[in-house]
Amino acid sequence: MNIPKLAVDWLDNRLGIKDLIYQNMGGYKLPRNVNIWYTMGSVVLALLGLQFLTGIMLLVYYVPDTEKAFTSVTAIMNEVPYGWLFRYLHVVGSNLIIIFMLLHMMSVLFMGSYKRPRELTWISGFTLLNLGMVFCLTGYLLPWSQLSFWATTVATDAAGAVPFIGEHIVAFLRGGPSVGAPTLGRFFALHVMVLPLGLMGLVGFHLFCVRRAGISQPPFGDSYKPRLFGEGFEHEHHPDGVPFHPNYTIKDVSMVFFALAALVAISFYAPWLFIPPEALVPADPFNTPEHIKPEWYFLWAYQTLKIFPSKLLGLAAQGVAMTFIALLPFIDFGSERRPFKRPLFLTCFFLGTLLFVGLSIWGHYS
Amino acid sequence: MMRILLSILVVLFLCGSVLADDTVCIQCHAGQEGRLSAPVELWKTSVHAANGISCHDCHGGDPTDFGMAMDPSKGFLGAPAYADVPAFCGRCHLGVREDYESSAHGKALKRGGPQCVMCHSNHAVQKASIELINEKSCTRCHSYERAAKVKAAISTTEANIQQLETQLGELHRVGIDTKKLSGKLFAGRNDFRRLFHTVDVEKMEAETAGFATRLGKIGTQIKEIKDELSQRKMVGGLVVLLLLAGGCIAMLIRKSYHEEE
Amino acid sequence: MNEVSESNKQRRTFLGILLGGVGVVLTGVFAWPIFRFLAPRDTGGAGAQVRVKKNLIKVGGAHFFDFQGRPAVLLQPRAGSFVALSAVCTHLGCIVKWVNDKGEFLCPCHGGRFSAEGLVLGGPPPKALTTYSVKIEDTDLVVG
Repeated sequence: MNIPKLAVDWLDNRLGIKDLIYQNMGGYKLPRNVNIWYTMGSVVLALLGLQFLTGIMLLVYYVPDTEKAFTSVTAIMNEVPYGWLFRYLHVVGSNLIIIFMLLHMMSVLFMGSYKRPRELTWISGFTLLNLGMVFCLTGYLLPWSQLSFWATTVATDAAGAVPFIGEHIVAFLRGGPSVGAPTLGRFFALHVMVLPLGLMGLVGFHLFCVRRAGISQPPFGDSYKPRLFGEGFEHEHHPDGVPFHPNYTIKDVSMVFFALAALVAISFYAPWLFIPPEALVPADPFNTPEHIKPEWYFLWAYQTLKIFPSKLLGLAAQGVAMTFIALLPFIDFGSERRPFKRPLFLTCFFLGTLLFVGLSIWGHYS
Repeated sequence: MMRILLSILVVLFLCGSVLADDTVCIQCHAGQEGRLSAPVELWKTSVHAANGISCHDCHGGDPTDFGMAMDPSKGFLGAPAYADVPAFCGRCHLGVREDYESSAHGKALKRGGPQCVMCHSNHAVQKASIELINEKSCTRCHSYERAAKVKAAISTTEANIQQLETQLGELHRVGIDTKKLSGKLFAGRNDFRRLFHTVDVEKMEAETAGFATRLGKIGTQIKEIKDELSQRKMVGGLVVLLLLAGGCIAMLIRKSYHEEE
Repeated sequence: MNEVSESNKQRRTFLGILLGGVGVVLTGVFAWPIFRFLAPRDTGGAGAQVRVKKNLIKVGGAHFFDFQGRPAVLLQPRAGSFVALSAVCTHLGCIVKWVNDKGEFLCPCHGGRFSAEGLVLGGPPPKALTTYSVKIEDTDLVVG
């Protein structure tokens, strides 16, 4: 009585799962020269899964009330068994997710995988990056520390630059003229329900697009030729390729292990990297600490606002840059994907990266 | 009117202003000249300012109303006379006042002996440290010999307190809730510091053992926490190694497939 | 070619088992903290005693308080004599109410009645309310 086989057969007779599994595992063929960057998506997905888990753990003991939030986090860190572990994994994890999302995005840009027919994959992916950052922004407020309070004040203040309705947008975001209990309430709802639902939906769509369009051929090697498009839909097949399982699943597993090693190492040996001293003091609405700064992934925006003489111009500049990146497949619509045959793009890519890094470093020291 | 005031306040908050600065005392005196404005800048550097203690907390008066700011009916005391200083500071620092008044220093007050301001200054008061006992300061009235004895009597305990404070600071930095322990240390520190004001070397030496025990208990608890943290790091290290091993094994498996591709 | 595949297969099986082992250990290492994190914590311990101020209980009255995580009640039927009972009805676990005029307990769920000593007077409860020991220490009562 082979129980596992019986169970699988039972399901297969009703849902045809064996065929589904074959189509997505052993029968799913990928190019032979797929490089390590193709694993970044799986790494992000694994880290997101862990973030959900640690988030649920924290949700069990966290209290979203301005009087109790900080105390509940202190209790998690000091009294609840292994509370410190889940808190640190959650904090470090959130930063690592942004890092790996950026790496994932950079490799997609470099290999031109955002181009036709993968425009929707790109747009959903870019939206996911932004969602990730909103996740970080809303999550940041929840401990109700000095850092939480004032970083949120600075971040929501930016919206005030919009002409005419700016003030109202800021008040709407905060639930009042300044950050307070209403802000905590709505940020908590966003962080714990709205954003997770949105993320799950969008990740589902993103993965659907990836599978439906087919995995892109790496644009390297002598045999590569830019793809020619017919009239209708065409899934990119790789009939003489290599099965996803076990050849590439094991590669994904390996990279996930390495990413988790980095996560655990930082969580145990340097968690304070992402927890500045102001995060250890309860929020005081009457006392702004000196040198309050947003997190590293927002420093570029922070510095941009400081450079431009008018806040509106600064905000507009950021808006233009973000829109440009979001609509990149429609702006850079040539079918050439080989990096070294796209000199203009490569230049913009390197300059853009340098600008991002430069602005962030400047923002840190200014 | 209220709404205008409220929106002004809101704008002030959004500008990130520190509310303590806005007392009428500061507003008026900062614009004065000479000795009338000197206290403002001095106070800003003080440990009192860092803890939200402002002008009216010591001198009385209404800090929100220009008209009543220096009115006796609002408790305004003005600047205390030389011999009134211990009573002035002693309204908050009760223990110190008690020990000081029974000491040789306190008994010498009427004859022009030292009071609080002489060693601690008045507006630029800093967090007390053992360095307040130094040759320059104490030889204003007598030889340094006795002051040196007092300094020696308290230096071990002082060093102990400093070390514990540093350790607690480190623990706080890594997220440990040090409130209870900090409180115990704070209480111990204050009980010890008031003792100094008796300037009685024998008394200080006698009490040192008691304080050593008290501080020792705090030290033990700190050590327990540190041991726990080290243990966590060790387990964490093992998990990291395990994950790295897993990644490498998976890579080796990958290699074996790659060779066959 | 075949030998290479064979040795490869063997290598893979060995490595696979190794990876499986690592996976099991890691699962255990992550599962233990999750279990401890979620497990109910011992606040005060099972044998913990509770102190209640004597003057909270009127003569002939009842005072409800928390004992070892569940509601309990202290009574002073005669001046200076105290009784401590569990306030959890023995029928289905509802919390009983003290009826002052009658000097007895009434369970609001199914009408069970208990005397001031906790004995069943009527209704569905199968047995008496649990009694706890009470000691008098100056102005306090020590229960448990």
